[in-house]
Amino acid sequence: MKFKDQVKFVHQNMKKNRLRIFMTILATTIGCAFLIVLASVGFGIHKSIKDEILNRSIVTEINLYGKEKDNQNEELNNSDIEEIKQMEHVKAVVTRNWIDQLNGEIEASIDDRSGRIHPIFTNMEEVKKLDTKLEKGRYPNHENEVIVGYHFGKYLYNEAEKQQLQNPQLEGEMPKGYTGDLLGKTVKMTIKQTVDGEEIEKSFDFTIVGIQEKPSRDWIEDTSFIINDQKFQEVKQFIDLSKLDNTQTIQFNEVLVYATSLEHVQNITDRLKEKGYRVYSVTEELNSLNQFFFIVKIGLIFVGTIAIIIASIGIFNTMTMAVTERTQEIGIMKAIGAQPSIIRRIFLMESLLIGIVGVIFGVFISYGISALCNQIIPMILHSLTDSEEPIDFIFSYIPPSLVIIASLISIGVALLSGLRPAIKATNINVLSALRREL
Amino acid sequence: MIKVHQLFHSFKIGKKGKEKEIPILKGISFHIKQGEFATIVGKSGSGKSTLLNLISGYIYPTSGKIIVNETDVTDFNEKEWAQFRLNHLGFIFQNFQLIPSLTAFENVELPLTLKGMETKDRKKRVMEMLESVGLNGHIDHYPNELSGGQQQRVSIARALITNPKVILADEPTGSLDSETEDEVLHLIKELNKKKGITVLMITHDEEVASTSDRQLYLHDGTLKERGVLSEV
Repeated sequence: MKFKDQVKFVHQNMKKNRLRIFMTILATTIGCAFLIVLASVGFGIHKSIKDEILNRSIVTEINLYGKEKDNQNEELNNSDIEEIKQMEHVKAVVTRNWIDQLNGEIEASIDDRSGRIHPIFTNMEEVKKLDTKLEKGRYPNHENEVIVGYHFGKYLYNEAEKQQLQNPQLEGEMPKGYTGDLLGKTVKMTIKQTVDGEEIEKSFDFTIVGIQEKPSRDWIEDTSFIINDQKFQEVKQFIDLSKLDNTQTIQFNEVLVYATSLEHVQNITDRLKEKGYRVYSVTEELNSLNQFFFIVKIGLIFVGTIAIIIASIGIFNTMTMAVTERTQEIGIMKAIGAQPSIIRRIFLMESLLIGIVGVIFGVFISYGISALCNQIIPMILHSLTDSEEPIDFIFSYIPPSLVIIASLISIGVALLSGLRPAIKATNINVLSALRREL
Repeated sequence: MIKVHQLFHSFKIGKKGKEKEIPILKGISFHIKQGEFATIVGKSGSGKSTLLNLISGYIYPTSGKIIVNETDVTDFNEKEWAQFRLNHLGFIFQNFQLIPSLTAFENVELPLTLKGMETKDRKKRVMEMLESVGLNGHIDHYPNELSGGQQQRVSIARALITNPKVILADEPTGSLDSETEDEVLHLIKELNKKKGITVLMITHDEEVASTSDRQLYLHDGTLKERGVLSEV
């Protein structure tokens, strides 16, 4: 029997009991949609948290906290940095140092404007290797050149603005700070500190040659002031005059290793760990997050599958009734020469078709419910929290993998529930079937 | 064409463990030649339907041998029987056994569909067959829209559509009035003569049996020859 004739036969059989078939398909649709929507919550929350982690950190970045030696944490030194730079798939090793504010007040001034800053000293040659895009300008080539954050000028106030800040009547109205173009401007960095009761200060002049890109999130402000680490020794010599903290032995405040691509991050992290370095990378966080959500998703899919199994009882009933109703028809077919396998296939195809149609509708409906959830839930949360901030969170997300998993489960369960009736149809005795009254 | 040798068949009745074996056929042997129109006549309960069911492969004998169309079918499994029935046998039933949800055309077309024939060829052949049994004006009628005689004609058309060499007819006139009975018997006889199809018919009616070339009388599980051999 040709496949198209089998399909035609199945179609004819299904047309005989349209309402019953419709209700069975409806049950399968609801079961499938329930499974997808339920699991989509797990997928949605996982995606949102993962995106949040990836957005707030550079994915190829690995943080180094020191080196473990005899169960003691040892600070990293230059030879460690050189060793790491030689490792395969390492793009750059950026070191950062900053000055503890306890050692003195650091101020930057441009013309008549000034404000407190937190300078960062870094190995600019390694930073350049990262090829990070700047909003304007270029990376420094000289120790007296700096790059600044996108919002650097915002907190540089003149005297009038400083007074405005102190006026309680004008509370809430923030001065605009420096709004002109910073590129090419000379900044005077002044460090003030008290040594033996006497206030001393030293100034350094820098030229702004680059401005960093605007941060991806609106609420983040970048006021950084990044200086070439060649200048660090000179600044530190002046700082060390202070009695407050002249025993500081930290070589680097921060060491960041950058992999050539995301796929090498885990490998580099593992190798650094083997060498005794204390590391943290985004992949570590993502791994534990993925493990947790894997279990959550499995749990949700399992619960959703129960709905499919309930729907499959409907398919089982429908198919069993179909076999009972068509006993005579099956008997006639067998009597004139239909192969048992053909009879079985026709019934299996019928339950399979119920499963497939149910899945198609179920997938469409679940996409609709998912979109509705993502629209309505933030609105409800807004009304509950009175917040005007947009809620950047996906509550329900349906990836293609979820559609495939749900479809396979639904169709598989539909097929299984049709198996027993199909076998029953195959085993129908010809004579018993023919003896039935017309 | 149909050879039956020392065929025994018995049924088990009663509760499990206390079953009683009832012999139905007690060593039947006969040979029906190609193109012969033979009838097995017997009263109700004589075992004639059992004999036909054994030759059709719907039940299996206790012992003995059945050869149909030079093929020993005694030990055929269900799959082999299905294949054999589709390719070599045609069936005419007392209650017509037409599928109620299919039209006359579709009922006749069914064996060809099972054989996997192309739609175009099927259509042509079914139309010719329905025309030959005088039902070309009823192709789209469902069985319940046809008279008993018309339904049996559809059944005959379905039995002949695969060009079988053997037709097995189980009381084909049992549900028909005398006028229609004559029509159907005439049609079967005509097919036997014109196409040389071997026909084995069972009936309880001796008048119906008299239309055949050869009558075999079945009584209490044993067979006796009563007719005159056909001069085929």
